[in-house]
Amino acid sequence: MNLPLKLAWRNIFRQKRRTLLTIMTMTGGFVLASLSIGWMNGSYGNMIEFFTSHRTGQIQLHRTGYLDDPSIYDTLDNYLEVGAELEKVEDVISWAPRIYAGALLASRAEGASPGMFSNSAGAALTGIDPLREEESTSFSRQITGGTMLTASAADSILFTTGQILLGKELALVLDVQPGDSLVLFSQATDGSSADRRYVVTGIVATGNIDLDRTTAYITLADAQKLFALENRVHEMAVFTGSLNNVQRATAAISEVLVDDSIAVEPWQVFAKELYTGMKADEASLQITLGIIIGMAALGVLNTILMMVLERRREFGVMKAMGTRPSGIIRMIVLEASIMGVLSVTAGCVVSTAGLLYLSEHGLVLDQPLDYGGFTFSEMLATISPDCYWIPAVCIMLTASVVSLIPAVKAAHTDPARSLRMV
Amino acid sequence: MKELVLAAAVVLSAHAQPDVAAVLEHLDQLYRSDNSHAEMTMHIVTDHWERTLEMEVWSEGSDKTFIVVHAPAREAGSATLRLGSEMWNYLPNTNSTIRIPPSMMTGSWMGSDLTNNDMVKEITYSSDYAGEYMDQPAGADPEGELLYLRLTPEPSTAVVWAWIECAVSRDPLLPVWEKYYDSHGELIKTITFTEVENMDGRIIPAVMSIIPADKEGQSTTVTWSDASFNRGVDQDVFSLANLQTGGDM
Repeated sequence: MNLPLKLAWRNIFRQKRRTLLTIMTMTGGFVLASLSIGWMNGSYGNMIEFFTSHRTGQIQLHRTGYLDDPSIYDTLDNYLEVGAELEKVEDVISWAPRIYAGALLASRAEGASPGMFSNSAGAALTGIDPLREEESTSFSRQITGGTMLTASAADSILFTTGQILLGKELALVLDVQPGDSLVLFSQATDGSSADRRYVVTGIVATGNIDLDRTTAYITLADAQKLFALENRVHEMAVFTGSLNNVQRATAAISEVLVDDSIAVEPWQVFAKELYTGMKADEASLQITLGIIIGMAALGVLNTILMMVLERRREFGVMKAMGTRPSGIIRMIVLEASIMGVLSVTAGCVVSTAGLLYLSEHGLVLDQPLDYGGFTFSEMLATISPDCYWIPAVCIMLTASVVSLIPAVKAAHTDPARSLRMV
Repeated sequence: MKELVLAAAVVLSAHAQPDVAAVLEHLDQLYRSDNSHAEMTMHIVTDHWERTLEMEVWSEGSDKTFIVVHAPAREAGSATLRLGSEMWNYLPNTNSTIRIPPSMMTGSWMGSDLTNNDMVKEITYSSDYAGEYMDQPAGADPEGELLYLRLTPEPSTAVVWAWIECAVSRDPLLPVWEKYYDSHGELIKTITFTEVENMDGRIIPAVMSIIPADKEGQSTTVTWSDASFNRGVDQDVFSLANLQTGGDM
């Protein structure tokens, strides 16, 4: 062990209370930073995971330009062939096709004659493939009353009664329950009017009131027939099972589909609101982290400065015996760094315990957060390498940089003057 | 009769500026009169499809309208009834009658560039707009044969445009064009009135074309092929029962 290191090591234990105070300050900073990172990452990870796997998919395919200006005419053609290509990509677990169109829905007022539908409301109609949707998003879990749509041959015969699912609030507006009948009125892509009778098979509660007030679901085959969109869809949602492989899967899909008219976009693009919200919060997390680290740094600066003042005589003696200023600087910085290492070690232990607790028992929010239509009332932490290396680097940098100031001061001690002081 | 007097009053005061209110009332009543019956075709052109609807229209006063579509076959029997503040559509394929909610009144009628409002004349110039004369557009109409009006919707009028500019010929007093602008001063649509004809003793432009400004190549052209005015309309025409029989009453 070289001399400055040996001296530094011993000095740490000379004034145990002072050392303990410094280490506690740094450990506190580490733990706070670590917990905030784990909590932020965790809550966003959960949110995005939930949002993408229960509705949007991690990747979506549209006709180029559809997302900016959705039009019923902008479709993906031969979607089954596109789907077969998708399935060749390793990361793709499942995909779900959708058709989006506007329509007027009307229900009968109580006691009205059979053909009179006087309760009417505009609706955003979504055509879904019941089997693929169930496989991808477990759609039927959102059904609170009645049953899921069933794929059947009758979908393609418009004069028979079709099946429709209504958002919870939309069902309230139309005053219908499962089993009641409805008329749908809209316009097909060939200009002809599209109308069909439906029986409400179920009520859907996604948890997003805005969505549930406007959305109705029919089968994809039905929507294709109704709007003259045979073999065409507006959206294909792709599910990769995890957020970690999205980038790779997006690239792989773009490679497989060599068609300029198809836009392949990851959730960061189609759920822009969620993504920018997350980015904004990330910035605020960085500010919070800065403040925490700054406070820890001030604590370190304070204790080391005190220590240097207390040890002026000692440094005077060292210099008088021929220690160079650089030797003194090295010794003090080493002392701070050793305390940094001790703090990081202690911090890791405490943080792991804290993160484990927060990942089981999240913080319950007084005011639930609404992101992309899903409400989150509990935020859980996740443990990732970020929770350790970011605070560790910050603490070590702070300890060494901050200790430089008092170290330089100590190095310039005038031996004659400091030895005369008692 | 009322409009004849109004029209006469307007013509007599030609070259002086006729009363704005009288002009607006005249425009409102032009195709409707006290009561009317007309056959018309509507030719709709969009980027994606093109079709022609043949239909028959009855009207009485400003609050009763009945429209039944005769062709094409898929829509034959489709009918629209406006009675006071309510509008109903009959859909023959599903044999059902649905009420059109007020929020849909600005929506397209049968995919055309006309709104439900336009079809049933829920909104009238004389009661829902404030009109005033404006300077003639530069270079237009050197003879001074047209009157130029600027119509601003009343605050309670539910329309998407901020104002309308109209050109009206003095003699006979007929609309020539209307231009609809949004609040940024961007043109939304232009309506032109052409082919002035005498129908049942009344001089009207037989062709009305609606050209949206933001959709190139898209237009709707309405052509009146036969119209009669003030010959009385059976009150049963304006009934829900008639709606469901497709205007056979």
